[in-house]
Amino acid sequence: MIPATHGELETAGRPVILEITGLSHHFVHDGAVVPVLRELTLTVREGELVCLIGRSGCGKSTLLKIVAGFLAPTAGRCRLDGRPIQRPGPDRGVVFQEDALFPWLTVRENIGFGLTGQHWPRQQRQREVDRILDLVGLQDCGDYLPQALSGGMKQRVALARVLIRFPRLLLMDEPFGALDAQAREEMQELLLDLVRRRRQTILFVTHDVQEAVVIADRVVVLERNGGRIREELTIDLARPRDRGDGRFQACCSRLRQWLRT
Amino acid sequence: MAGKEVLQSLLLPLAALSLWFGLSASGLAPGYLLPSPATVFDSGLNYIFGSPGDGPYAGRFAGDLAASLVRVLLGFAIAAGLGIPLGICSGRLALVNRLVASSVAGLRAVPGICWLPLALIWFGIGIKTTVFLVALAAFFPIYQNALTGARLVAPIYYQAGAMLGVSRLRGVFAILLPMAMPNIITGLRLGMGIAWAYLVLGELTGVPDGLGAVIIDARMLGQTDIILVGIILIAVIGRVCDRLLVAGLRLLFKSARRQR
Ligand SMILES: Nc1ncnc2c1ncn2[C@@H]1O[C@H](COP(=O)(O)OP(=O)(O)OP(=O)(O)O)[C@@H](O)[C@H]1O
Ligand SMILES: [Mg+2]
Repeated sequence: MIPATHGELETAGRPVILEITGLSHHFVHDGAVVPVLRELTLTVREGELVCLIGRSGCGKSTLLKIVAGFLAPTAGRCRLDGRPIQRPGPDRGVVFQEDALFPWLTVRENIGFGLTGQHWPRQQRQREVDRILDLVGLQDCGDYLPQALSGGMKQRVALARVLIRFPRLLLMDEPFGALDAQAREEMQELLLDLVRRRRQTILFVTHDVQEAVVIADRVVVLERNGGRIREELTIDLARPRDRGDGRFQACCSRLRQWLRT
Repeated sequence: MAGKEVLQSLLLPLAALSLWFGLSASGLAPGYLLPSPATVFDSGLNYIFGSPGDGPYAGRFAGDLAASLVRVLLGFAIAAGLGIPLGICSGRLALVNRLVASSVAGLRAVPGICWLPLALIWFGIGIKTTVFLVALAAFFPIYQNALTGARLVAPIYYQAGAMLGVSRLRGVFAILLPMAMPNIITGLRLGMGIAWAYLVLGELTGVPDGLGAVIIDARMLGQTDIILVGIILIAVIGRVCDRLLVAGLRLLFKSARRQR
């Protein structure tokens, strides 16, 4: 019984996009040093969807912020396509966990916001926005303001405004955490569709083991409070994945085991 | 507004008006203390539309209004021009805030009227003193609200902006100002209200024209009706200014139009 593989075998030979070596970070809180990440090493290859899971407070968001360039690490190297990451850049897009849409801009304007720096002809820009609106299934809501959107629709817009810039690496921090089960599954399908069409490379943070096994090529488990990587698991199950499948559940329980200890 | 809501908002003014009618008609309040609504109405018409020969105040309204508007708007513009940038900077930059905050707090603790003698010495009687007082008084709410608005902008919006290619400088106009807009508007409206209050104070000093000057002048001549006309006109014009201010901001800025 050989599963149709997607994970390791298919992506193993591809070039490395993100290379994190010996990354450490600590916060200083009331004069006390709080270590969060310790000598962490991680690589992500082109076209790979890597899920990062770990207990609350273990430093997942911190790691993502460092890769995004919002936060400078205390020590260690972090390279994207061989260049050190120093600040936010057009090669990375971030979807935040909380709502970070601009409240005074319509859905269309929010999505087009990331193109304002680039000198696009107006018409072409409109067409591009429409195309991305279609892609995330919001063609009828282009003129809505964020306040009129549901949580799921907001996250679609948040995804769309990043996708329009074609980032090399997409960073997602528990993007579907606030959605109900139904909306969450829809978003997961949308994301997988995107990976299939655009070969988008994604580093995805979640605390939901099932979500990780549904979408990931590889799941990386952070230590509970060691700030290192505890284990990695390549999920080589064919897509679409069946949550009732025995091997699917075996993956889930293995990950749960690692999270517990 | 629906008809019912209009009615509700008019209820209190109408009640005050009928009380006024009652007081004058019953003779409880003598005319030199409280002229009847009809007298005030006539004086108002005369003040606004009369020709100069009809009496000391006839037809002066247009000139007084123009003089007062210039003073209010000039003072308000100075207050906004200083208050918004300074408030935004204090809200975002700890250094600026440390430099400015205690001085502003100290100045604010001084009641506005205390500045009048000094302003008179510095600027003499006339437009400069009034503009100075108006600008000084309107500055504080504009500054304070801009500061609060800038401070309340969550870091995630800057991160979102940076991630979407917005530089720090462009972020001020593309993200910071729009996010702070509701607070800035609150400050500007408060400032506009105070500007009218201090206009009257500034015109107390014996300038020849202006809506405040008319009130003071009428007191000397014992013309209670003209005082009331002046008060009512300042109330109406102040409200119109507030409305125009909000409408103008909404016309100019998406962020004013689309956030409450
Ligand atoms: N700005 C900060 N200052 C001080 N300590 C911080 C700061 N940000 C995060 N921390 C600390 O760093 C640790 C890791 O935080 P982080 O947000 O990365 O966790 P997380 O894995 O994303 O958790 P969750 O799953 O709950 O989002 C926590 O203990 C937190 O208290
Ligand atoms: Mg987090």
